[in-house]
Amino acid sequence: MNGCEIRVAGARFAYGAQEALRGIDLTIGAGEQVALVGPNGAGKTTLTRLLVGLRRPSAGRVTVGDWDVSRKRPDEMARRVGYAFQHSDQQLFARTVESDVAFGPRCLGRSAGAVPGVLEELGLTGVAHLHPYDVPGPMRKLVALAGVLAMEPCVLVLDEPTAGLDRAQRLRVVAALARRAAGGEGVTMLAVSHDLAFVAEAAARVVVMRDGRVAADRPARELLYDREALAALGLRPPATAQIGMALGLAGSPIHAREVVDALRRTEWRRTAE
Amino acid sequence: MTALIALEHVSFTYPGAARPALTDVSLELAAGDVLVVTGETGAGASTLLLVLAGFAPRVVGGHLSGSRSGTAQRCGVVFARPWTQLTGLCPTVRDEVAFGPASLGRPRDAVLAAAGRALEQLRIPHLADREPGQLSGGELQRVVVAAALAMGPDVLALDDPAAELDPEAADALYDLLPAIARAGTAVVVATPDLERAARVATRGVVLDAGRLVAQGAPAEVLDATDAAVIARAAGCPPPLPLDVPALVRRVAR
Amino acid sequence: MIGYVPGRSPLHRAHPYTTLALAGAILLGAFALTGPLAVWLLVLAAAAFAAVGGVLRASLRTALVLSLPIWVLLFVLHGLLGAEPRIVLGPVALSAAGVARALVLGGRVTAIVLGFLAALATASPHALVEAMTADGVPFGRTFLLASTLTVLPRMRERAVQILEAQQCRGLRLGGSPVARLRALGPLVLPLVLGALAEVDEQVLALDARGAAGAARRTALAPPNDSAGQRVLRWTLLVLVAAAYAWKFRSMRG
Repeated sequence: MNGCEIRVAGARFAYGAQEALRGIDLTIGAGEQVALVGPNGAGKTTLTRLLVGLRRPSAGRVTVGDWDVSRKRPDEMARRVGYAFQHSDQQLFARTVESDVAFGPRCLGRSAGAVPGVLEELGLTGVAHLHPYDVPGPMRKLVALAGVLAMEPCVLVLDEPTAGLDRAQRLRVVAALARRAAGGEGVTMLAVSHDLAFVAEAAARVVVMRDGRVAADRPARELLYDREALAALGLRPPATAQIGMALGLAGSPIHAREVVDALRRTEWRRTAE
Repeated sequence: MTALIALEHVSFTYPGAARPALTDVSLELAAGDVLVVTGETGAGASTLLLVLAGFAPRVVGGHLSGSRSGTAQRCGVVFARPWTQLTGLCPTVRDEVAFGPASLGRPRDAVLAAAGRALEQLRIPHLADREPGQLSGGELQRVVVAAALAMGPDVLALDDPAAELDPEAADALYDLLPAIARAGTAVVVATPDLERAARVATRGVVLDAGRLVAQGAPAEVLDATDAAVIARAAGCPPPLPLDVPALVRRVAR
Repeated sequence: MIGYVPGRSPLHRAHPYTTLALAGAILLGAFALTGPLAVWLLVLAAAAFAAVGGVLRASLRTALVLSLPIWVLLFVLHGLLGAEPRIVLGPVALSAAGVARALVLGGRVTAIVLGFLAALATASPHALVEAMTADGVPFGRTFLLASTLTVLPRMRERAVQILEAQQCRGLRLGGSPVARLRALGPLVLPLVLGALAEVDEQVLALDARGAAGAARRTALAPPNDSAGQRVLRWTLLVLVAAAYAWKFRSMRG
């Protein structure tokens, strides 16, 4: 499982007369973990659709590894790119959670060997035998994500992967992504998200889109500490960065673990005064 | 003081389910409350909401033991996905919001007045003539809340209302809840999103596997916000700070 | 293609009962008329109906697409397998009587489909609900009817989303008949299951807004009716009855 590089060069796309992408240039190296943020209508989802072959750019070129996306169908792109949609209910159908998660690998002609491990990672082993619709809404989202991870793609494209999830579920998603990012065979990840706590844990680089263009491309540690830049996007820094800024912690920590380590030798006041 | 809704030793099982979704829950809701119900997915927060609002078992089916009583006459409900809660038949936001009062058979003028008031309460009178299908998620969700409030309910139950919204819209929605409670409609919110809920809650309830495991002031009970989790891990003694300013104030250096 | 398209044509402004009565008259009339000339005059009348509504081109296109399989079937059954005498058209010998029969049956289907497409495109579901509400029909029934009118565009949207999602999981479209059959499950099941899950929420949301209430709903904007339209509707009824009376007389005589 080798990471694949994403290259977008001068990509343009319009829905009829409405221009959604006005010339996107973006390179995501193999194994990079990138978050895509921006206001509604910035073109983030449209860009992700280009990466999986659901839309063809009207100008410019989009490649994943050595594959030119405009020459591939979405089911062919599925061999390299796993796309987790924002709303999972549009793909669940099998009789059990387990067989639904195995659907992707089976379509690709691969073994479903990764399925039990993925179910375990996302805390779905207990519901593996249930019908997907007998499982609560947020868990269905995890089922859909499990289906994508079980396909063992070299590129993961995620659209709001943590929306509606509780804390424990969010941590599982972060851990599952971290496991795949680690090591020499790191999976490339692009996640559209406005959950900056998730971005802090899962991404090293943040690309900001606005009005169909790339407005900024910065390391996560830098952007998450930039209150003004985030406010312009209608976002607030995650708690970790806020604590780091308020207490002047060294090294711009953005992971919860880093902040906890920095605070371990703190003296705490007894009351809230 | 008689509670708006009082649950005593309530257990509830969905139709055909092997295990109860709620076990032995006792809880009271009073006027002016903004009650936040939280817990892991599947812990029963959504079910508790349905029981409080009187939809379980009446509409949902299933079996309820224990007692539900109180002075509340009417309850409104709001779910996470805005577009599934619309009639799909109304050409304007005003029509959609007026749908509820029209169902009560009130005279036309009273219906339109109620719709207008609800739109004001949600700060969206400028959307009155817009087509619901053209609105953003955040705007649409406010229309849904206005539509529920237009009925003049005693209680408004919201199930993770900001799950589909971007952060600005989510903040705006939660910030409206205290005013709604003060205006005479008690609010109950089920959500895992404690960052926003803890800011507006007057009381908190935590469920675990269908049982009520904690109930009380937000500062004591809703301590699973990012700031609280970090503080706990860094050795901060209880009560844990729920947000970053509170955490910073507790640092003695 | 199928479903309401907003507009300002005379049909759009007409009372929805009138539009539906016209479509109904075409439906009933199609079965009362027997000769090819009469049936094709009806098809022209249906086309005129669509033209008045400003939806001729779209309705015609959809009607042809929908009725094409039936036309093919009719020509095979009646044209190729019908009685003597035969007309020779190149390699094929078609039965004259069979072709005439196919033209009548096919014409009926085309007229009916065209009439209903035009009616669906010009009768606003909201106006229909308001009309039925003003007449005191309980909301449950009006909602059932109106929802069926709006269900197709919604389903189409969802079907496209599902198609895309399953393709991204590696589902290949096309291929052998067996492969296509196997692809039906992953495409159709989420449509149905997802729709049912949405309906669950919608039922609760609408129940809270009094949809199932006992009071007589207030109609906020009942569509304008006129004496002329009422006369038209009764005339249509009389015409249809007369057509059937004529048909039965000529059958007996």
